[in-house]
Amino acid sequence: MATGSTATPVRSRARPRLLSGGGTTRLSQAAAGLFALTTLIALLAPLIEPYDPLLPVGQPQLAPGEQGFLLGTDSIGRDILSRVLAGWQSSWWAAVIVIASGLLVGGLVGLVAGTFGGIVDNVLMRITDTFLALPAPVIAIAVAATLGPSFAHTLLAVGIVWWPFYARIIRGEIRTLAARPHVEAARLAGAGRIRLGLRHLLPGAVPTAVVTASLDVGSLLLTLAGLSFLGLGQSAPAAELGADTAKNLSFLLQDWWIPVVPGVAVMVMALFGNIAGDGVRNLLGDR
Amino acid sequence: MLDSSPHVAETPAVAEIDALHVTLRRGDQDIHAIRGMSLDIGPGEILGLVGESGSGKSVLAMSMLGLLPGDARTSGRCLVHGDDMLSAPAEVRRRRRRSSLGAVFQDPMTSLNPTMRIGAQVAEAAESDEEALRLLKAVGIPDAHRRMGAFPHELSGGLRQRVMIAMAVAGSPSLVVADEPTTALDVTVQAQVLALLRSLRDQIGCSFLLITHDLGVAARVADRVAVMYAGRLAEMGPTGVVLREAAHPYSLGLLGSRLSLGSSRTEPLATLPGEVPDPTRPPAGCPFAPRCDLVTDRCAQEPVDPVEVAPGHLSACVLPIEQVRGATEKAREKEGAPPAGTSGHPAGSSTQPQGDVAVDVRRVVKTFWVKAGRGRKQRLAALRDISLTVADGESVAIVGESGSGKSTLLRVIAGLEHAGGGEIALGHGVRPQMVFQDAGASLTPWLTVGDLIGERLRRERMSKPQRVERVAAALAQVGLPADVAGVRAAQLSGGQRQRVALARATVVPPKVLLCDEPTSALDVSLASGVINLIGRLRRELGMAVVFVTHDLSVARIVADRIAVMYLGRIVELGDAEDVVHHPRHPYTRALIGAVPDFGADPPALPGDPASPLRPPPGCSFHPRCPIAAEVCADPDLHPRLLGIGHGQVHQVACIRTEVL
Repeated sequence: MATGSTATPVRSRARPRLLSGGGTTRLSQAAAGLFALTTLIALLAPLIEPYDPLLPVGQPQLAPGEQGFLLGTDSIGRDILSRVLAGWQSSWWAAVIVIASGLLVGGLVGLVAGTFGGIVDNVLMRITDTFLALPAPVIAIAVAATLGPSFAHTLLAVGIVWWPFYARIIRGEIRTLAARPHVEAARLAGAGRIRLGLRHLLPGAVPTAVVTASLDVGSLLLTLAGLSFLGLGQSAPAAELGADTAKNLSFLLQDWWIPVVPGVAVMVMALFGNIAGDGVRNLLGDR
Repeated sequence: MLDSSPHVAETPAVAEIDALHVTLRRGDQDIHAIRGMSLDIGPGEILGLVGESGSGKSVLAMSMLGLLPGDARTSGRCLVHGDDMLSAPAEVRRRRRRSSLGAVFQDPMTSLNPTMRIGAQVAEAAESDEEALRLLKAVGIPDAHRRMGAFPHELSGGLRQRVMIAMAVAGSPSLVVADEPTTALDVTVQAQVLALLRSLRDQIGCSFLLITHDLGVAARVADRVAVMYAGRLAEMGPTGVVLREAAHPYSLGLLGSRLSLGSSRTEPLATLPGEVPDPTRPPAGCPFAPRCDLVTDRCAQEPVDPVEVAPGHLSACVLPIEQVRGATEKAREKEGAPPAGTSGHPAGSSTQPQGDVAVDVRRVVKTFWVKAGRGRKQRLAALRDISLTVADGESVAIVGESGSGKSTLLRVIAGLEHAGGGEIALGHGVRPQMVFQDAGASLTPWLTVGDLIGERLRRERMSKPQRVERVAAALAQVGLPADVAGVRAAQLSGGQRQRVALARATVVPPKVLLCDEPTSALDVSLASGVINLIGRLRRELGMAVVFVTHDLSVARIVADRIAVMYLGRIVELGDAEDVVHHPRHPYTRALIGAVPDFGADPPALPGDPASPLRPPPGCSFHPRCPIAAEVCADPDLHPRLLGIGHGQVHQVACIRTEVL
């Protein structure tokens, strides 16, 4: 680096985190790996399913490994591995859609409320509180009653109750950032409200939002599973991890793998989400 | 026992550090914090350990207290009364700490337990309530009996530090390690605390290791001074000798760049070029070599050990002492050399300000409402009827202690706060720009320097290459290479960040540059460079400057005029030299007396600065004023600024000036 006579070189601690070794970095790499793996399974599910997940393909209630069914068969002889893969795919997409739309809507509301403050903040936050008070199942039933039952409508219902969490978190983060000197400095430098919000505030809230969102995968999957249990999830033959667990609970004592395998899949996906969240937090931690 | 334990003179040394090396692990890097230090502290001695940030002085304190983190790798010895605080079992070290050591840290608020009453905390160290009360009285806490029941947050910073000192000297330790004990305090309080340290030493005969970045603080109380640089000892000797006849080029550089009330206002301040070496990759030879004017081929080869240059005076330099001293003059000329054609005023200027007004503050009032618990709110009068005019191109310094309202005034001028009353008129032109105390925090962390500086150019219609060029020019003007535009604030050092902040403020030169303590977070050598830079920018760009500082010696250098504030009012206003050398207000006099300087030791001003939550009636300064009369406390008294002498330029708000 060229330097003038009075200047000293810029210290060379420029973003080494992703490249060099070290505990933090390894965790982040593991998180990135798990995230990629989860997505890959979701994308490739139709190709790697050994059987059709919707049709009985063997004897019912085969234990894992019996007759070549790696994870066994369920009560009517469908391949559990295939159903888990298909369920993984639908849960994954459900999580991605709900969280992404929640981040988008909640982020926008939180950003506007946090940046403008005052009356705008008050009005937006009271609206948010109202949505926050709505229970997901009630909304889902109401949406199903008006628009007809379908998985898309269930996702819409979950989305309606999901965004207010993000709105609150992002608004809080923006308010904290807004009190920092760099925002005052930007104001003096002539940045208007919109520029202030998008350039000097929003990027600072991204780490928290991303971490919260990835840690949220678990609870979202559980909520969807609960709705499936009420019959508000995927319609009957479709594979869905939550529904497969809930509906087959009665087999727990004699053929444990029928409810446990999809349940473990839910847990693993939630765990992957949490590890990915921790990894993201570490990666962005020094902001 | 504060008064009945005479120190044992025959003990050779209370503490002995021998060839100490400490390497800390941070992230995946090794920090070579201390790389071969040897020193000893005699009984009843105050050793001032001076160094800039990153010199390893605090790690030395932790070594001495046996409190290094578990993953620290050490070699050498660090003996306290014969026990090695590096290698002794934890139980032995604990006993040593309890019986022989005391510690005082920079921020008493974080060192005291916020949930425990003062009395209980001191009693924990003193082992009885009676002893705790006696100690609190001994460290000069007024109304000590009542204060035993107070929580730390109910005390002022100065009183909290006294409580820490009381805990440190409980049980009559033989050594107290004080790490920057006065850095967070106002100057008048700093002077009190330093005086207290010395009187405690005289009473109980304990030794002090006084760690400070400020040579003036060490000069005031230390018997001997040790100068540390990049984990090594540069120089050590009796205080007077080191200050007057420094033998190491680094000490000379530090002394040269240090501001005092006698520093020249017409020449640029001496600065040390470059920065402290990276502690993860310490240089093989003399660590100061890259910044040293006298560097020779030998310097870079192997580390230089301190050798005795006079009895009791050590210096770690390969050059003979005569050669070092002879070259001092030459060194002064180097970095600060002004560009050809300009005279070298650091910041003050001889050019008479033009008649136009850049800032006109008229009878401005600002009141905050602060929470006082249980939903109640309390009135905080930050600015009480302030009037101040700054002419085009003029530089005015606003000086005061914490709570004086000086920063609020600056923020009101900047438009970051709305005045609660009165008027602020700004001259036509680009709106005021501000440089903050913490430059790092004022730069948006995820944007590049180029984005941040370029942001101010958005109003001007220009192409992208033109903008890049303007940014590079602004960076060049503050002495930074153009490729700094591509990095973020976290990748820059403190001095570089402050330069970036200045480049951002001046890429489109404002009419007025507002500076909020821009140098108080910087090391001495870097601060001088920033002050020189502000002065140069001001002259080249024709800006007026309003400079807020708590440090009168800085104010005198940067300003044409100085305004002294106390509790929301200006108490004295006049030409910088006049105010500093012929102060009229008793508060200004006390401030000047409190500036830590070599050889000067006037009596400290008693009492704490009053809280702006409850400003005393009448003249707010009267409870601390040595010449106050009864009338000064009259609630109907509103001391106004009145001109004195010819021209009425020098104004003082004191009804008792005739007494002085």
